[in-house]
Amino acid sequence: MLIRFKCNGKAVQLDVEPEVRVIDVLRDRLGLTGTKEGCGRGECGACTVLLDGKPVNSCLLLVGKIAEREIITIEGIAGEDGSLHPIQEAFLDQGAVQCGFCTPGMVLSTKALLDENGAPDTEEIEEALSGNLCRCTGYGKIVDAVLEASKRLMQGTSHGGE
Amino acid sequence: MKVIGKQVRKVDGFELVTGRAQFAGDYQFPGMVYGAVKRAGVPAGRITGIDHEAARRIPGVIDVLRAEDIPGPNLIGVLPPFDQPILSAGEVRYAGESIVLVIAETAEIARQAASAVSVSIEPYDPILSVEDALRPGARKIHEQGNVTCAKRLIKGAVKTAFENADIIVEGTYETSFQDHAYLEPETVCAVPGRRITLYASCQSPFHIRGHVAANLNVPASSVRVVQACTGGSFGGKDDVATEIGSLACIAAQRLNRPVMIAHDRMESIIGSNLRHAARVSCRTGALSSGRIIAREIAVMLDGGAYASESPFVTLKTMIHAAGPYNIENVEVESTTVYTNKTYCGAFRGFGVPQVTFASESQIDELADKLGIDHLEIRRINGLKAGDPNATGQVYEQSVGLQDTIEQIAAQPDPAHRERSGFMEESTGIGGEGSKPLAGRYLYGTGYACVLQGISNGAEGVDVTGASVQMSQDGSVLVGIGLTELGQGSRTVWAQIAAEVLGVDIDHVSVRLVDTDAVHDSGPTVASRSTTVGGMAVQKAAVEVKKSLISMAALMMQTDGENIELRDGFAILKADDSARIPIASVATAAYWTGFPLMNLAFSKAPPANFDEDTHQGDIYIAYNYGTHRMDVRVDTMTGEVKVLKHLASHDVGKVINPLGLEGQVQGASLMGYGLAHMERIEYADGIIRNPNFADYALPSIKDRIPTVSIPVEDHNPTGPYGAKGVGEPPVAGTAAVFANAISDAVGFRFRRLPITRENILDAVKRGNHG
Repeated sequence: MLIRFKCNGKAVQLDVEPEVRVIDVLRDRLGLTGTKEGCGRGECGACTVLLDGKPVNSCLLLVGKIAEREIITIEGIAGEDGSLHPIQEAFLDQGAVQCGFCTPGMVLSTKALLDENGAPDTEEIEEALSGNLCRCTGYGKIVDAVLEASKRLMQGTSHGGE
Repeated sequence: MKVIGKQVRKVDGFELVTGRAQFAGDYQFPGMVYGAVKRAGVPAGRITGIDHEAARRIPGVIDVLRAEDIPGPNLIGVLPPFDQPILSAGEVRYAGESIVLVIAETAEIARQAASAVSVSIEPYDPILSVEDALRPGARKIHEQGNVTCAKRLIKGAVKTAFENADIIVEGTYETSFQDHAYLEPETVCAVPGRRITLYASCQSPFHIRGHVAANLNVPASSVRVVQACTGGSFGGKDDVATEIGSLACIAAQRLNRPVMIAHDRMESIIGSNLRHAARVSCRTGALSSGRIIAREIAVMLDGGAYASESPFVTLKTMIHAAGPYNIENVEVESTTVYTNKTYCGAFRGFGVPQVTFASESQIDELADKLGIDHLEIRRINGLKAGDPNATGQVYEQSVGLQDTIEQIAAQPDPAHRERSGFMEESTGIGGEGSKPLAGRYLYGTGYACVLQGISNGAEGVDVTGASVQMSQDGSVLVGIGLTELGQGSRTVWAQIAAEVLGVDIDHVSVRLVDTDAVHDSGPTVASRSTTVGGMAVQKAAVEVKKSLISMAALMMQTDGENIELRDGFAILKADDSARIPIASVATAAYWTGFPLMNLAFSKAPPANFDEDTHQGDIYIAYNYGTHRMDVRVDTMTGEVKVLKHLASHDVGKVINPLGLEGQVQGASLMGYGLAHMERIEYADGIIRNPNFADYALPSIKDRIPTVSIPVEDHNPTGPYGAKGVGEPPVAGTAAVFANAISDAVGFRFRRLPITRENILDAVKRGNHG
């Protein structure tokens, strides 16, 4: 079946069975391996992508459901010149990345949050990231990174001290 | 110093935040096929037949491998006794045991076909507890019996000392199995050839190389292992990586096609090692002054079906069981026993969290009986420089325990409680607006001290090889056989090389671990990467620096001692403006024939101890720490809110403040999980909660407000005085949680995890008064 959708700003047309998982389409057909599979049951959030701007577990999403809709993956959020998104910068500056396996999902859940609510408080951040597990950081620095990213985006700049 | 001690970004962070980092599952090779195993499904028995005809008939299935298809000895293991088969040939010793490997065109077909394999197993009565395993006449899980390993530490004369004690406390403490739960499940990818290459999510590539070669029955030098970007390990990606790594390589060579094996989450939990469950019986004798004069401890570890790293975990628990105290008389017996459960092995802390929980709980119980303040009793007994520890080892420096106690003591007192007992009501805690309901909340504060041996020490020879290479443009490449697992080691090594060579850290790269290209550096364990690894990098960098200084001296027509490397230049010390770019010096050095690459070794002083009593020099250094935790318990729900968590560790020297905080906070939440939330649950030898819906992994809503307070007591055996910190906060947090909860509810829990339900039960039963 021919399915059309938008991925990271580009139109995609694929001949694919509609019951194939979106994570498999992204990784195996489009080569977008930044989306990670940690559990395959929607329990860890490592496979989070944005569907029309909302975070979803791509391991539970079938490709038939994304026809004519827009997907954003971790590969789609840096600038066209290759510069990092302010959220990515903030994650690095705040030490919010250790092994990095949860990071793409964390960054995308953060983006969905900040697109909706530019200045979230700690509780709102915890709520928005509660579906994304991380075993390395203890989460403190991830919250710091989201707060920092929020600040930078509000100021319209990605520059920050180290 | 320019780079050491400064906050720097993770050197490999760019690839991780952009999704470009290649984890093992991200590799793609033409013609790649996929493997999946059939597991036993019963905890104990004897295989009487395997029928894989139905599996073979499934379209897309390529091959089915059984134990007899393994060219080598079909054995893996980290330490003697190497007792674990890759595919079981006859005996089934745990339910997650692999029996048959199916190879298919897709991972999905491979899984489907694996479940279509029919294995007949004549079941045995499973041995599911330590008591059953040790019962006289019990069925032997392994030929040599059911005791994996037993060791004893004897210092002084415990029996006499107890006779002289004014007070004795005793108790038995238990902890549960914990899963590593790294976010990336175990994955490997083998590419066949005259020399085979294995890309693996793993912790110890040289260890895997040895096992793959043995099981393929080829020389080790014909196997190349490349560590893929690894999504967490915490001790867990060692045995299991050798298991699936060997399987993938054997299948790849047999089929001449690349083979990927990727565990799903359930396999990651049931089919790879866990943290040992422990039962620690502990007896402590003290004088009425609070001085502890004797401790007698028996540690019993449930090691599951195979030895894995149990021999070293047994040793480590024994050495650490008496805690960071100066006690004249100590006896510890530590034993690991086989059971028909998932095997246990290395897990961040390596047995120390289990015994620290027991030991620190009992220290509080002792203090309560004596009417001594919880921090004061630790001050009275805590190790100082020059004191002999439990193995009689004396360090003349870098024993910062008392400093960590004073750091914690200097923090403001908990506002909500008197010094003893607890208050049922409080207001304004943690800046919360609303007043809690009268009597609804209980508040408590706990303290705990911890020590953790750094490096292999008595567990094995400790050697690391590292190379440092400067290119003619002045950029630097570091190669080392230790692995980056998320802990930030690469960043630390880059900082060390940058510091020695006077270049910007952006000009330093740390290469992937490729067994073809770096020296065997031993395992990435025991908080040794910064300490032992860092020393090797420093030594290699110093040799390259010598070439650069010699060259610059020729160019400036002066003696080398008048020159320093700094800010990317060779600079005349006497005149800052006389400087040559390091790139020019490196180019000239190359054309002059001065070597710009060096391979250096760091070898820790050998451990030197008595095998029977374990008295002697065991580790090159210890990390010491003191934790404090303030909690609020909701008596209506059992819910715990951690209001404050302070973790002060003596790290010798902070190399990367950001990385240090990350290690302390991450390890702390792991300790909190062990203490409060996480538990692998068995029913009849089958794990009942092998997924993240049923296994309670801390989420962001469970995070605790850990504040790291580093103490720097220079360690002469580490680079710039540093010592590792990756493990010790796990033990500190697990222990301090138990003590804080006991303080709040007035009831001593002797088993971890202390769950919300346990707390609610205790409160309801009125145990809190």
